Amino acid sequence: MSRAWRGAALAAVLAILVVALTPYLWIFLTSFKSRLDALADTPVWLFTPTLEHYPTVFLDKGYLPLVWNSVLVASSTTLLSLVIGVPAAYVFARHDFAAKEDLFFFFLTTRMAPPISVVVPMFLLFSALGITDRPLAVILAHSTFNLSLVVWMMRGFFADIPREIDEAAMMDGHSRAGMFLKVLVPLSAPGLAATAVLCFILSWNEFLYAFVLVAFEGRTLTVGIPGLVTPHGTLWGQVAAVAVVATLPIIVFTFLVQRHLVRGLTFGAVKG
Amino acid sequence: MSARGIGGAVLDRGVVPLLLLPSVILLLIILVGPFFYMVWTSFTDLSYSIPGRDGNFVGFDNFRRLMRDDPIFWDSFFLTLKFVVWVVSLEFVIGFGLALLLYHFIEKRRLVVTLLLVPMMLAPVAVGLIWKLLLQGDFGMVTYYLRLVGLLDIRAALFSDARLVLPAIMAIDIWQWTPFVTLVMLAGLMSLPREPFEAAVMDGARPLQVFRDVTLPMLRTIIALVLLLRGIDAFKEFDKVFILTGGGPGTATELLSIYTFRVNFKSWDLGYGATCAFMVYLVVLILCSVFYKALYWKEGRAPAARARS
Repeated sequence: MSRAWRGAALAAVLAILVVALTPYLWIFLTSFKSRLDALADTPVWLFTPTLEHYPTVFLDKGYLPLVWNSVLVASSTTLLSLVIGVPAAYVFARHDFAAKEDLFFFFLTTRMAPPISVVVPMFLLFSALGITDRPLAVILAHSTFNLSLVVWMMRGFFADIPREIDEAAMMDGHSRAGMFLKVLVPLSAPGLAATAVLCFILSWNEFLYAFVLVAFEGRTLTVGIPGLVTPHGTLWGQVAAVAVVATLPIIVFTFLVQRHLVRGLTFGAVKG
Repeated sequence: MSARGIGGAVLDRGVVPLLLLPSVILLLIILVGPFFYMVWTSFTDLSYSIPGRDGNFVGFDNFRRLMRDDPIFWDSFFLTLKFVVWVVSLEFVIGFGLALLLYHFIEKRRLVVTLLLVPMMLAPVAVGLIWKLLLQGDFGMVTYYLRLVGLLDIRAALFSDARLVLPAIMAIDIWQWTPFVTLVMLAGLMSLPREPFEAAVMDGARPLQVFRDVTLPMLRTIIALVLLLRGIDAFKEFDKVFILTGGGPGTATELLSIYTFRVNFKSWDLGYGATCAFMVYLVVLILCSVFYKALYWKEGRAPAARARS
């Protein structure tokens, strides 16, 4: 290919990167801007940074518990989904039974189920059980999609391990459970870690279930975001500070699991 | 045998599928139960705002109302279809184009892909918030530059102009999800075997012919999967629109999920709300089964393509 083509392609890719990244850069900058700079008619790129918004919104306005709730909900749903989903994935990878693929499809439908369709009856169910407005409600709701993510992803990772390894482990005197826990799980550790991180991200980012199921005590960070935007006099510096805290950890996590991201987001259909 | 212990012996007798039970039971209680309750509710007149309507069975009344007497539902339905078709096609064209550029011309594509991940991993609510700030009428950064280059009228306010607000919402979705298409299509491109390309070049095929006759056919399953995944997600779109416009101005951006939310949580018309929810579920379920079929085109049996980058 000629130099000119290469140059044009590079320019196009750079332009796309600018479009993709500037919005995030802007919210990041805004979180360090004084009120005057944030509301300036002409965009302000260079300014004297202020650190006031972070303590104001998280300590004085009480957004810190929301961060804790998000961490609690995301890690609990991840743990729950892994503990009951990984054995299920193993069964799908290694055993045949009646209606196996139908059940696998059922898991897919739970992953795709539109939250808006089931959130009302789910709310009524949780009210009857007396667990609304507690993180547990959101943990359970998020497990509906994370569980199937675990089953779908881990089936693929287990299927990647040759069956001969199972047999060799059994020959060495491992029980089936021991073989699973001491041989297969360690072998699939990278996939397991990627799955866990992806579960965490999906739960952390989720809005509708969390928004409907909890109103006060158990609010997660995403649920706290709409309350910050008011028709008039929105404090954009503080809004931006919340947005940065709600997103920066996720970006770091994403970079950690980049290698398995394609696989996780396409239900194992494409391995990145 | 004795070393395996009792647990192992029991498991070996074909009880292993029992390991599926915890996950199946959890899903039955938390998701399938509510699903059937939703279906049941759609045959009742349950309402939290109108006295006397406390869940009496009304047969197909709600469905009749939906089919015959609710133009707003159908406006919202077709608005959603329009949204899905536009964003998915543009995301696909731009995303695939970018994947091809990266594949053919850029050596450091890993770094580019890493940076591209940022928009798609942000919480959709946060994306809505970011763009709300960028598109503010008085001081929005993007508004300012759009006006500067003459793309936006000086008096136009994006979120209160019914003609501009839908394209704005679409553009934001495209901003967030085009990288997903790029990511997947690039993985697909990198998984392709080299031989067919070499053979085509030997036969004297020009680049465009190679693309049309070799690349596209080999990628067709992945293309179908990407389109379906994005289609399902776009059909369910709620978070960004909820925070950006709440469906307004008027009903200009009232997608199906937003409308369903309004019927349930603003009008508290739960019986009819369940009917709308049922329709959303139905569409997603249909797309979902097509997606499942598409997974199986690939290998004939178990899902999962074998590709590596």
